[in-house]
Amino acid sequence: MAQHAMFSEEMKEIVDSFVVETKEIFEKLDTELLEIEKRPDDKELINSIFRAVHTVKGTSGFLSFEQMSVIAHRFEDVLNKLRRDELRFQAGMLDVMLEAFDQMKKLLNQVIERDIQEVDLSSTIKRLEMLSTGAAIPQKEAVSVEAPAPASSVEEAQPSEAAEQPSAEKSETQPEPKEPPHHEQAAAAAQAPAASKSERAVDTTIRVDVARLDHLMNLVGELVLGRNRLSQIVSSEREDNGHEDFTRQLNETGAQIDFITTELQTAVMKTRMVQIGRVFNRFPRLVRDIAREFSKEIDLVISGEETELDKSIIEEISDPLVHLIRNAADHGVEATEVREKAGKPRRGTIHLSAGHEGNHIIIEIQDDGAGIDPDKLKAKALEKGLITPEEAHEMKLDDVYSLMFVPGFSTAQRVSSVSGRGVGMDVVKTNITKLNGIISVESEVGKGTKFTLKLPLTLAIIQGLLVGVGAETFAIPLSSVLEVVHTSKSEVSTVNGRAVTRLRETVLPLVDITEILEVPGRNDDSQAFYTVVVGVANRKFGIEVDRLIGQKEIVIKPLGAYLKNIPGIAGSTILGDGRVIMILDAGELLRLADKSNRASAAAEARA
Amino acid sequence: MNTGSQTNEAIYQLVSFVIENEEFGVDILKVQEIIRTVEITRVPKSPTFVEGVINLRGKIVPVIDLRKKFGIDRRELDNETRIIVVELTDKVVGFLVDKVKEVIRVEKSIIEPPPELTTSISTNYITGVAKLQDRLLILLDLDRVLSSDEQERLAEVETEAHE
Repeated sequence: MAQHAMFSEEMKEIVDSFVVETKEIFEKLDTELLEIEKRPDDKELINSIFRAVHTVKGTSGFLSFEQMSVIAHRFEDVLNKLRRDELRFQAGMLDVMLEAFDQMKKLLNQVIERDIQEVDLSSTIKRLEMLSTGAAIPQKEAVSVEAPAPASSVEEAQPSEAAEQPSAEKSETQPEPKEPPHHEQAAAAAQAPAASKSERAVDTTIRVDVARLDHLMNLVGELVLGRNRLSQIVSSEREDNGHEDFTRQLNETGAQIDFITTELQTAVMKTRMVQIGRVFNRFPRLVRDIAREFSKEIDLVISGEETELDKSIIEEISDPLVHLIRNAADHGVEATEVREKAGKPRRGTIHLSAGHEGNHIIIEIQDDGAGIDPDKLKAKALEKGLITPEEAHEMKLDDVYSLMFVPGFSTAQRVSSVSGRGVGMDVVKTNITKLNGIISVESEVGKGTKFTLKLPLTLAIIQGLLVGVGAETFAIPLSSVLEVVHTSKSEVSTVNGRAVTRLRETVLPLVDITEILEVPGRNDDSQAFYTVVVGVANRKFGIEVDRLIGQKEIVIKPLGAYLKNIPGIAGSTILGDGRVIMILDAGELLRLADKSNRASAAAEARA
Repeated sequence: MNTGSQTNEAIYQLVSFVIENEEFGVDILKVQEIIRTVEITRVPKSPTFVEGVINLRGKIVPVIDLRKKFGIDRRELDNETRIIVVELTDKVVGFLVDKVKEVIRVEKSIIEPPPELTTSISTNYITGVAKLQDRLLILLDLDRVLSSDEQERLAEVETEAHE
């Protein structure tokens, strides 16, 4: 039944809101389920999970998503017995619960994709039933052997379900059904305050389509442009034009508009902010699964999950974080015996933290594992022909770590189901670059590794450094600018056909955008220029510019469908005076420079 | 022009403009507005016939130089130079022309199919030639001007990828 009755046009809105709501519930369940293992006696926790599953049962039943409703129902039976102390939590139970949860996720995905297929739930349901009858914890393999048991357990489960049924029908979305009074008093008392709390929370929030927020953001962008324009006019207006009164009023109004626009911009941006916890939520499960698969013991410690950032960034950051966490759990933290031998605690720890730093968000992933051995990285790179022995000898530590981000590079001795295919870090780098972010690596052999991501808070309105090159003006996103230094021509030298300069103790490659972007009117005679030091993901380089114009708030405007994907250009923006300027895409520029450098090196080699 | 609504009617309404010595006409329904030249910002690495982008009341609009597109030598912008802003399927694009002449109504009956060798311009973009009393008017399909650009651009990208 590919075309479910619920997927008709008129039901679309209802199904969509079911998806949104259920997704939210699942996000919460992701963390809460794992908590049971740590706090099996926490009634509040079990109640909360029960309510969540109960809601899903109700709403999916209402929309006749039968299978979802059935499995939620069985799941709910188990939880119901747990919260009434008719059942005691045992170690193996969580596995069955997680299995049921995974099935529910699978079913939700079908709803999202509008493609309902029958899923074989029988073994999961059997195992849930065995749980609720208090039978021995069923092993996955052993299910068929114990098959006869369920027949009676279904009947046993029935009464408790019957008790729940009426309330479920009365209020589909009510988080907490009114309990019949004859149930255990303690449990009921514990639920009451929680229920009223969540009801209050519902009252103060509404769901808004992201498209509407995007539109609002665009309008604010236009307003910011208008504001910039107005400030420019106001500041160019002379006091002595014979209209003192008019000028003063214009100034006052300008200042007021300026203030309100800034406030409005902040307010609109805040509406788009989402807590990063929404991404972090699923990592405990991820780490637990990996730890199980490789018989490791790993704790994931999360902090700063309340840190907020723009929704568009949240979406982009999720995949890179999954890769980094997997890497930390799979390759970072060693096997238990290895850890013991090294005199470390048996349990490995991964710290995942987020926090603000100015206009940036910093995310750190730190493990106390084996660390990254630079010599191994070099050996691997040599073996793959990525570097020459001389290069390997001279490489700085940072450059060695950078090798990890080269496509097709993987140091894992074994390829596991979760990582080691050599695509992960490359993907991480690509995504971080796309976000104008910076990634850095610190590691100590035997002690552990720390990855630090630095990302802008939002993508639509950014701080830009305006620079003049030749006859043209460009903006560079300030989030990727590390510093600006004055460089004289005599400090520039050539290494491997590439212009470089010295930045304190390091060698900094220079990118000449006049060449790459064919900028006209650059004066070659000048003896000095400014070097804008730019960080892209894990690399640093300098852009040669003639003039520094200033720092401005800029609104990124796409070049439109016709001119999209211009290499080296991230978009354009309109200045206060109405002029259009291009925003440089630092990551792309570096790639173009590398490419032209390789091309010329190849040409030299042929010559 | 071959827009569905017009083919059934006996009269076309066209905006006529001049490039070098030839006069062209485009469907008035496609024209959003005609503006004097404003400061045009070069877009690096864009095809040569893309003059750049302009700020049209807060919107970024690419401008295509029809002279370059047609392979005619560059000419300094002057008082008569105009940008015809056209709305095509999903995008707004400006076309730089030497001057805009008038809005004219042309009877369908005087339009002839494009002759083999009227101009240096690829006949791909030409939908017909209107024989007016004193002159010829070449009817252009700007959608096709743009789509053939895209094909060329695509070809460029592909050769780049092979490098």
